[in-house]
Amino acid sequence: MAEVVLKNLTKRWGGFVGVDNQSLHIADKEFLVLLGPSGCGKTTTMRMIAGLEEPSSGEIWIGERMVNDDLPKDRDVAMVFQNYGLYPHMSVFDNIAYPLKVRGTPKADIAPRVRAAAEKVELTHLLDRRPKALSGGQRQRVALARAIVRTPQVFLMDEPLSNLDAKLRVSMRAELKHLSRELQITTIYVTHDQIEAMTLADRVAVMNHGVIQQLGTPDEIYNDPANLFVAGFIGSPAMNLIDGSIREGHFVTTGGTRLTAVRAADRARVVLGVRADDLRVSEPGEGDIDVPIYAFENTGEATLLTVQWGQQRVIARGDRHLRKEQNDIVGLSLNPDHLYLFDPDTGRRLTA
Amino acid sequence: MTGKQKKAFWNAVQTGLIVMATLIMLVPIAWIFMAAFKSHVDVYQLKLFFRPTLENFALVFREPYNLGEKLWNSTLVALATVVIAIPIATMAAYSFSRFRLRGETVMLVTILATQFVPAVVIILPFFVMFRDVGLLDTRLGLILVNLAIVMPFAIWMIKGFIDGIPLDTEEAAMVDGSSRLQVIRNIVLPMAAPGLLTAGIFCFILAWNEFLFALILTSKDAVTLPIGLALFKAEEGDLWNLLSAAGIIIMLPMFILALMIRKFFVQGMTMGAVR
Ligand SMILES: Nc1ncnc2c1ncn2[C@@H]1O[C@H](COP(=O)(O)OP(=O)(O)OP(=O)(O)O)[C@@H](O)[C@H]1O
Ligand SMILES: [Mg+2]
Repeated sequence: MAEVVLKNLTKRWGGFVGVDNQSLHIADKEFLVLLGPSGCGKTTTMRMIAGLEEPSSGEIWIGERMVNDDLPKDRDVAMVFQNYGLYPHMSVFDNIAYPLKVRGTPKADIAPRVRAAAEKVELTHLLDRRPKALSGGQRQRVALARAIVRTPQVFLMDEPLSNLDAKLRVSMRAELKHLSRELQITTIYVTHDQIEAMTLADRVAVMNHGVIQQLGTPDEIYNDPANLFVAGFIGSPAMNLIDGSIREGHFVTTGGTRLTAVRAADRARVVLGVRADDLRVSEPGEGDIDVPIYAFENTGEATLLTVQWGQQRVIARGDRHLRKEQNDIVGLSLNPDHLYLFDPDTGRRLTA
Repeated sequence: MTGKQKKAFWNAVQTGLIVMATLIMLVPIAWIFMAAFKSHVDVYQLKLFFRPTLENFALVFREPYNLGEKLWNSTLVALATVVIAIPIATMAAYSFSRFRLRGETVMLVTILATQFVPAVVIILPFFVMFRDVGLLDTRLGLILVNLAIVMPFAIWMIKGFIDGIPLDTEEAAMVDGSSRLQVIRNIVLPMAAPGLLTAGIFCFILAWNEFLFALILTSKDAVTLPIGLALFKAEEGDLWNLLSAAGIIIMLPMFILALMIRKFFVQGMTMGAVR
């Protein structure tokens, strides 16, 4: 059990920067999620912590030790690889048992611990199989079991649920959450999946181009985005981003519509961010603006209205019983408590 | 013709061609096989039915041919070559496959390039060198020569097999707590085992069949089987029945190894990654 500290960690390949001067303090027992688009350096960060990739510069601390020069085996971490990294010549049982065997666990302890780990990921009926004879999701669970069979200082999990079907993913997510609360081991978890990030994380680090864009609780990331990238990346559907300016204290779209709900200091160019949930759908004339529907979607648990607002399309979430047709006119009103203004040049959030 | 008939027709043609090719290739072997069991008088007649005898096999092991001695030399030289070559080649191949070495490509190409030099060209320097250090007509000398011959093949072959082992697997083992040596012992060697076996058998065959160097560098004590065949030239002409019997003794291990290599080669090819 230990905290993990990254100090100015950088990874370069020739001129290409994979991870850029990253500093991060992960508390003991914390569950930190690395979230970001493909190629942003999540796996690279993990591999550097595990000791599989040598940092170009910077320091990695696990607990009291700087581990930059330690071999992977001496770092006492367990990792779930993005593409499993199973041992094809061993049975599932031996795969899971390997970390115990190689670290000299007494023989009598091995079998019960392997069985316990396999039980947690619902693998007990497959222990005699070879990895080749497993489905993708089953292989992923073997990789997971191999990681949790031991009690390491740190868990590193690189998209451990990405190949599971939707149902299994939900149950494994809950299992992971339960496990992490139970085991109380510092965990760094990489995912593309926002729901995984929101539900599992104590804190989320949103990454882009090798740089952490924002580090905060899921709540902060969702409700208090630090910049345009985070605002646009988090949330499904993505936050609506509307170009305009602030004139005489109010937001004016490039099309010229004035929104009195937004109050701020005058500024030539701003981007207004508003989530689909913070747009209230009403009858024409009852909202701040009247707009035609470009597309109407019913997801079952809600309705999604894509509306044409001047040059831009905006998505609003409506009641699940709402029924509208394409080209119908609806009124939209903005919730003044949940509006975000960004500087379009720096992307930075403007505080009102 | 319907499509089905057409297909059947071409299948028949293919099968026919394959059978013919096989027969053509098998005729000399069949001839040798029969000759080995014929008595001296029958050899020159193309009789398919004759009274088989095992006398030839007994004769070749007696004076003056002493094939047993040569068999022992060949076995010892080929086995020692394999036993020395495979571990060394495996270490070299692992390094070439997994580490970034300075001048890696140059080294790999150089290793292969040694094979482009015709043996005849370097045989004289070998002779002079071996004479000076007293390795002429010794099994140790032959083992050294054979090592020089098989190592490039072994390194390249084994490197191919190790390249096929996904790096992820090794990395997982390292994170799981293995040292580099444990990774090699627990992961790489078992996974590359079919490849190592294939390479070993291949090396054995090369060493077993080696003729030119053995011809020049041995004279009495270290003579190997292929050279021993030359003994069966008597004044009355070639002793085909004895020659054939010796030939079969040479071929037999090759047949067995060829069968094994086929099995393992396929296994080695399909073992590959689990993703
Ligand atoms: N060995 C390497 N040499 C050069 N560039 C590399 C190397 N490994 C990774 N990269 C680059 O570094 C960047 C970050 O890669 P990384 O694997 O960390 O992405 P990721 O965030 O895990 O993406 P994904 O979500 O697709 O797994 C990518 O642009 C990748 O092309
Ligand atoms: Mg990745």
